[in-house]
Amino acid sequence: MFKYIWKKEIQGELYTWKSMLWLIIASLLFSFTSYLLLTNKELSLLDQTELMLLLGQIIIGVALLIVAIDASSIITTEFEKETAESLFLAPLSIKDFLLGKFLASLTLWASIFIVSLPYIIVASLGSGLTLPFIGYVAFLGTLGIAGFISFIFGVSLFYRSTKNTITTSLIVLLILATPALFSSTLKNNAPSQFFSKINPVDNMFSSLDNVLVDYKTAILENWQFILPLIVFCLLMAGFLVFATKRFKNQGIIKND
Amino acid sequence: MQDIISAENLSKSYGATKAVDKLHLHIQKGEFFGFLGPNGAGKTTTIRMLTGILKPDHGKILIDNYSLEDKLKIANLIGVIPESRGFYEWMTAVEYLGFFADLYKIAGKEKEERIASLLLEVDLTKRKNSRIATYSRGMKQRLGLARALINNPQVLFLDEPTLGLDPQGQEDIQQLLKKLNTGGVTIFLSSHLLNEVSNLCSRIGIINNGQMVIEGTIDEIRQKSKMQNKTLTEIFLHLTGK
Repeated sequence: MFKYIWKKEIQGELYTWKSMLWLIIASLLFSFTSYLLLTNKELSLLDQTELMLLLGQIIIGVALLIVAIDASSIITTEFEKETAESLFLAPLSIKDFLLGKFLASLTLWASIFIVSLPYIIVASLGSGLTLPFIGYVAFLGTLGIAGFISFIFGVSLFYRSTKNTITTSLIVLLILATPALFSSTLKNNAPSQFFSKINPVDNMFSSLDNVLVDYKTAILENWQFILPLIVFCLLMAGFLVFATKRFKNQGIIKND
Repeated sequence: MQDIISAENLSKSYGATKAVDKLHLHIQKGEFFGFLGPNGAGKTTTIRMLTGILKPDHGKILIDNYSLEDKLKIANLIGVIPESRGFYEWMTAVEYLGFFADLYKIAGKEKEERIASLLLEVDLTKRKNSRIATYSRGMKQRLGLARALINNPQVLFLDEPTLGLDPQGQEDIQQLLKKLNTGGVTIFLSSHLLNEVSNLCSRIGIINNGQMVIEGTIDEIRQKSKMQNKTLTEIFLHLTGK
């Protein structure tokens, strides 16, 4: 059943001018970044691997932001536009509903990733790291974004309001993403090191750093970053299960 | 005769306000039941509880002897025009009905034929490929009715189905409902239009402050209320204290 919801979202939400605009914005950002980075490379201001790391961080960061904004409304609009009641009167389970929406949000990430591929290839030409670069951006991005989507869906089921969901999601994203961009000298005390270890954005960026700058491309060499990401995904999935149970208890129409 | 809708001791409160208070309902197979009440009487809350959209605080509901916990069975038995009438405005009528047909696992030729016949019934064939966003309110109401009928339901719950329609639109919907009821579909109609209810319904229930104040055929209601020569409007106003 989830495939019908997924298909509906692709047709109605992703295959629209709004989504095309997101992809164009992502593409322009990647073009601008790549241009700057490649110019820097010519000037020998940045090592190629540092340049690739920066591009990888920008791709994941932009994708996180776009998917967070889109996922914040994908569930709540069903309540705000009063389509949820008709939808749940049909033989559709909440599980299929969420799975269809989840896959639609991941499809947006997949589209952004496909748009980013030429930039990844151009930036990594001659480094011998093109495949690990593509593979790790896809893997880390998918893990991190899946975790964030679960969190955003849970918040959506709590609030049933786009405005509240988007505000909460962006605040959380900002709290996690900003420290990840701090240099390591700013993370030399115990609390910031601990936060850095559990922060999913930090772990995505650190793993990319490990792969691209330190040439540690094996999964086992990145386990210390991947494990916290998996734990983050599981915790967010748990939060979504909790929010779904609460939603089911409240009923489709909120009891207030 | 067998009850197709049965509700016992149904109650629902919103904070301190009792929306529905110990309501008992027994609707038999093939009945056309009119559910009347002033604004805020508890009509929509009752329909939402009967269709499983809202959880009651107390009480037991059975649809054709199935508990509402059996969501899949219930969803296939009932069709609903809910109070909230949102549509996927970017879809065409064919896409919209097709989407719901998919959810009911109606596929292939059966799906195409069902959609074509429903669009014909609700007079939307000429505009079937137009975006719903371009439809008038009346057209959307008719599309909502087509969606409610996509699964050939045995029980139809209608919350103000002719609201906002012009007289011709109301007449068309009423004729269609009569036809469905003659074909054996049980209809639970909530409406403000007393004429509509008295013309269509075989039995009527009037709810006020969440409680059923009277129930029966129009003649029984006249007898019970001791207002033999009065119209339904006069009886309604008397019973609801308006």
